[in-house]
Amino acid sequence: MSITDRIARGLESGWKVTDGATLTRNQTHEADVVVIGTGAGGGTTAEILARSGLSVILVEEGRLYYQKDFRMNELDAYASLYQEGMSRVTKDGAISILQGRCVGGSTTVNWTSSFRTPAPTLNWWASRFGLDGLSPEAMKPWFDGREERHNIEPWRVDPNLNNDILRQGCEKLGWSWQIIPRNVKGCWNLGYCGVGCPTNAKQGALTTTIPGALDNNATLFHGLRAERLVVKQDRINHLTASAMSADGIIPSGVTVELRARHFVVAASAIGSPGLLLRSDIPDPHERIGKRTFIHPVNATVAEMAETVDPYYGAPQSIYSDQFNFSGGVDGPAGFKLEVPPLHPAMSAGVVPGHGADQTLDLSRLPRMNSVLALLRDGFHPDSPGGTVSLRGDGSPVLDYPVTDYLWRGLRESFHRMAEIQFAAGAQRVRLMHLDSPWFSSWPEARKAIDDLAMESHRVRLFTAHQMGGCGMGQDPRESVVNGFGEHHHLANLSVHDASIFPTSIGANPQLSVYALAARNSTHLAGRLRG
Amino acid sequence: MPEHITASTDLDRRSFLRTGMGGALFLGTVSVTAGLSGCATSPAGGGYTTLEDTRHGGYRYRFLTKDDIVLFQALLPALVGPALTEKPERRRAQIRETIERIDAGIYQFGPANRKELRGLFDLLNFSVTRVTVARVWSGWANASTAEVDAFLNRWRTSGIGLFNNGYIALTKVSNVAFYGHEDHWHVSGYPGPPQWAVDALPQFRAGA
Repeated sequence: MSITDRIARGLESGWKVTDGATLTRNQTHEADVVVIGTGAGGGTTAEILARSGLSVILVEEGRLYYQKDFRMNELDAYASLYQEGMSRVTKDGAISILQGRCVGGSTTVNWTSSFRTPAPTLNWWASRFGLDGLSPEAMKPWFDGREERHNIEPWRVDPNLNNDILRQGCEKLGWSWQIIPRNVKGCWNLGYCGVGCPTNAKQGALTTTIPGALDNNATLFHGLRAERLVVKQDRINHLTASAMSADGIIPSGVTVELRARHFVVAASAIGSPGLLLRSDIPDPHERIGKRTFIHPVNATVAEMAETVDPYYGAPQSIYSDQFNFSGGVDGPAGFKLEVPPLHPAMSAGVVPGHGADQTLDLSRLPRMNSVLALLRDGFHPDSPGGTVSLRGDGSPVLDYPVTDYLWRGLRESFHRMAEIQFAAGAQRVRLMHLDSPWFSSWPEARKAIDDLAMESHRVRLFTAHQMGGCGMGQDPRESVVNGFGEHHHLANLSVHDASIFPTSIGANPQLSVYALAARNSTHLAGRLRG
Repeated sequence: MPEHITASTDLDRRSFLRTGMGGALFLGTVSVTAGLSGCATSPAGGGYTTLEDTRHGGYRYRFLTKDDIVLFQALLPALVGPALTEKPERRRAQIRETIERIDAGIYQFGPANRKELRGLFDLLNFSVTRVTVARVWSGWANASTAEVDAFLNRWRTSGIGLFNNGYIALTKVSNVAFYGHEDHWHVSGYPGPPQWAVDALPQFRAGA
């Protein structure tokens, strides 16, 4: 393998990395801190704590995949790198959830878009949830620091045509657009971020903070599922974990007990509330799992006259916030406009249809463009988000009723996306909706969108952003942790991932998670070493 | 699957509408009933050969039952339609390989979603619900592509969310397994990963 592969080199140099599938005996390990989850939050936390001299054990349910495994193949990647083999959905099946399940978490498979938490969101958190310490000014050094750590800067290369269509449409309509900051170093502009970066250019947790933690003596167990935090006299005493078989699906029967002074949960907005619920963590006001948010995403596709090649090039490089906060922070549902990459399996799964029509639609993939809208949920009284609960087998599931408030926003975003595509010269536009035909003009689409049923299952909804469920706030009656991610009731428990967001944020969340985790881990390191 | 059915499984449209409120529970009930009435409910395993192709036995099924395999043999010509080749031998292989990939994909879905799909497939395989819910009168092995297409369109256009959801589930697992595979990239005009990058990357070198 290439000498530039940090993981291959680190494993050769003797990093303490154990694949749960290789364990044959029950065992116990101990460290200063156990960090559960290796995504944006867990990786950042582990590196900062390990660098401060604390001993750290990292626990990851997914497996360790790296450059040797990243072969630009959708089917392999979806089966191995994503939660539930890419089949994760909300409880009623109406919203598909794209979420990583591997070392590096969703940062291993995201499309590298890296935004600071929007200022209106941080200001709203301060006024509504008493989180004054997270003002844009207070957070600035943490964003600066993480942008440096993950090499985040606006994409300097020309956008691919798929993204440029969003720019052209906004330009024609007089709407704002911007260039997306990406966390890449030496990017080859290939377009395969979503199936594991084949060139190690992506500066996600897998190539930055995880190696940083392991270089500083941290221990990583992958293929190890955190089952239960065991509470003893107002403290977490230990974590019970199950080793997974090599297929990553079935526990092997070997259990691992991990003891520590402090436990940091960073298992995502679905996994973290799930673990806390399984553990019967004290929750007098029943807040765990409540106010779990996604950015519900709807999309349109356009058939262009020229070749778009929407599978090649940086997947996301242009965005528009024209409609994100235009109705006020707590007005009608705002939305951010971006573009998804279109590879054949993803497109065939997302574009609804079958038979000859489907084959004909997909045969036009090289000339296809798609625009998506990320709806900003959780700021209005009629947008309480969803709830994480446990299935009979203890696995977490997100119930996400789509409110009328959201349906209004979704209809509005369908309008704006179709308008952009026609303005950019689309020949035909279709909504990702079971009832949508192809429209050949903006007036035709505008009229039809007003009449289409906005109903679960008929509108195809997706999300790649999960937030909340262990919300932070000053008041323990309406939150799970404080502004430093510290649990309100258990002194040696912190939560360091997007699950602490009290609302969705109105932007792709990875940089927000990096920055908050860096801030809260630095605080925690001071506490534990002091 | 036996055609004689007990009264407890008599599902008219009204009761289905009612159970549509709690789809998972309903589908679970069908699964249990299907098992009791002799539907194949265990994975087809290895060495299984389709009726048309007796030579193949290499793939070991971990989720799909023999009934499910017959179901997908009927569904795929309607689902992926003209993307299948007309050449009989290659066509059989395409269908067989796609069903194998569907099985492999669903296995990775994990226990919870496997259970949901078990309910859906049992609902379609169980003769009473196949007739009342899918409106497919003969068994899947005898269903014409036109009948299957009509069934898919009914579920697609239905006002009942549970049917729409079933339609999405069937099309999604099939479309991803078919169009997503290298053998069928040409159908969507996708040229595959750039060759210059494949040539330059260490993970594609022999022995990597």
